[in-house]
Amino acid sequence: FLFQEKIITASFYNWVSAMVAKLAKICTLRISPQTLNFILSDKVAGGGVSMWCELEQENFFSEFQMEGVSAENNAIYLELTSENLSRALKTAQNARALKVKLTNKHFPCLTVSIELLSVSSSSRIVTHDIPVKVIPRKLWKDLQEPTVPNSDVSIYLPVLKTMKSIVEKMRNLSSHLIIEANLSGDLNLKIETELVCVTTHFKDLGNPPLASEDASQDRDPEQMAEVRIDIRKLLQFLAGQQVNPTRAVCNIVSNKLVHFDLLHEDVSLQYFIPAFS
Amino acid sequence: AAAMLKCGMSGSQVKVFGKAIQALSRISDELWLDPSEKGLALRSVNSCRSAYGCVLFSPLFFQHYQWSTSVKVNENDSKTSNLNCKLGMKSILPIFRCLNSLERNVENCRIFTRSDQCKVVIQFFCRHGIRRTHNVCFQESQPLQVIFEKSMCSNTLVIQPRVLAEAVVLFTSSQEEVTLAVTPLSVCLKSSSDEPMDLTNSVYSEMFVGPEEFDFFQIGVDTEITFCFKELKGMLTFSEATHAPIAIHFDFPGKPMALSIDDMLLEANFILATLADEPSRASSQQSLCLSQKQKRSDPMCSPNNNSKTGKNVTSKAPGCILRKTAPKRLYPNETQIDIPVLENCGSPIMKRVNGGDISEVPESSISDTEEMPGSSYLRKFSCMFFGAVSSDQQEHFNHPFDSLATASDTEEDMNNVGCRNSFNGTAANYFCII
Repeated sequence: FLFQEKIITASFYNWVSAMVAKLAKICTLRISPQTLNFILSDKVAGGGVSMWCELEQENFFSEFQMEGVSAENNAIYLELTSENLSRALKTAQNARALKVKLTNKHFPCLTVSIELLSVSSSSRIVTHDIPVKVIPRKLWKDLQEPTVPNSDVSIYLPVLKTMKSIVEKMRNLSSHLIIEANLSGDLNLKIETELVCVTTHFKDLGNPPLASEDASQDRDPEQMAEVRIDIRKLLQFLAGQQVNPTRAVCNIVSNKLVHFDLLHEDVSLQYFIPAFS
Repeated sequence: AAAMLKCGMSGSQVKVFGKAIQALSRISDELWLDPSEKGLALRSVNSCRSAYGCVLFSPLFFQHYQWSTSVKVNENDSKTSNLNCKLGMKSILPIFRCLNSLERNVENCRIFTRSDQCKVVIQFFCRHGIRRTHNVCFQESQPLQVIFEKSMCSNTLVIQPRVLAEAVVLFTSSQEEVTLAVTPLSVCLKSSSDEPMDLTNSVYSEMFVGPEEFDFFQIGVDTEITFCFKELKGMLTFSEATHAPIAIHFDFPGKPMALSIDDMLLEANFILATLADEPSRASSQQSLCLSQKQKRSDPMCSPNNNSKTGKNVTSKAPGCILRKTAPKRLYPNETQIDIPVLENCGSPIMKRVNGGDISEVPESSISDTEEMPGSSYLRKFSCMFFGAVSSDQQEHFNHPFDSLATASDTEEDMNNVGCRNSFNGTAANYFCII
């Protein structure tokens, strides 16, 4: 059976999995020699929301071994309930050592073994067997890294906690939200109902340098690109952000898609919310 | 004169008292207030009789403590009865809800009730001259209690609540049962599931703790017992309020286990049924046998109460005991069973004696954990095994499942509260406690 072992010394892994657990109930863990990915690719069920979270394994593990299906397809795709993993890792907050292994105990499991040092300086061994489903190779194509679309506007996000508390209040009023931004560093969150319209304006956010020069010349910097999305999906995304990221960019494809691109130290997270149809 | 309870406590004592109520609420929706000279006991039994909790507050715990029984004298005899007070958890739990704020604001709390009134009066004398009074109606009902001989258990562990709390976080709140596996070298708490091939999404977790982490570690017999997780958590939250270590007494699967806390001012005992070890993997959770305090000549409770209790036992017990198919063999003579508890009780077989009383359990066999007050007027009846007590053992043999135990309405059965048990060829699956 496919065997993989990793020994983690950083407890960083904990909050990554906690974040993933908030964003996706069931997700796919992709293991490859260089990277670890948490993937949510919910075309129909999630209303098209998708997530791609990537971490370089060498930043986290002191030991990492894996063997994929074959040399050309050197990857393992596992489907699991993310909360199970995050809860298991939570007990490893103060672990002396942590080991994760793919095992087969009547059914495939991700076995997390934790050595805890207790107050009386004796060690305790905790083991969690998390059931997983191994995804067959023929389904891998649906789980590839999403292509970053050519966006109309790219803008840096405001403090996520602030954004979250605003969106939470707006959620009581409407089920859809319009997110719009321009190349002058302005971002607006708008809701429009029969009775009331509420807009929150963020200014001077800054825009990341554009990839293609053509686009920047053609577009009026004041012109807003907007997309209307389901407010709950935005809220779910914001709820998963416990810590302020190192870098947070929002890319808008007018009336089609909003793409959040976050970097938390060594972990990158991309979240795609399609326009509400 | 009516039976009466009157006691008072300070704000910080209210917190401990409230924690006891909260812990007992994990067991069932009903709470008995049972005063005696040993103190005030709060008791709770779950509907399928697989868990029992009792927190006994010694008179020293309170600022003042008074109680009395009622005595009715008639021509031939005098009847004494206790305060038989049963409260609904739904009524009393909200009163003791925000314990931290109660501790801060309450200077004094007084509890008063009489058996001839129908309510318990709980008064909080708070800061700023505020007085809050709660009247909670009670139902007259004899408390059930379980006697468990802790010192007879082969395995005893005493552990600080903090350690147990660290183990408990491993499991989700949806985890129904956990298994404690012990050897002289290690202790393991793990999640348990009915079938080994459990293909649902549940995580299996286990934690090994070394003997050095226990305040007291005595393992006489290697064993694995499985019990209800919710009840363990209930006891744990209470222990965190008392800062006292928790003692765990247990033997083999099927025999109940005890979780207890014993500090100078109070004694808490949670007796939990454990899953019996079936080779066929069909598990059965046995009920605890309970004894009901009875008067010598006449059952105290009105037919109303008894029938209610009776109904509880009959209607719920079957539901809990099922899942087990016919036992392979029945032991007509219980003395064959090697259970330490039995050695204490005269004749293990309950026989019907004249007048329909169950044979009396000799005083000396009563365990010291829940001693009955001097029984000139109180007698405990305990009953073990095999369904309704009958002098005809043969009957049991043929109809093992007929009689689940019950306290029924009829005069002669009134004294019986029994349990059903099943035996297989190898070990006694039943257990019970006298």
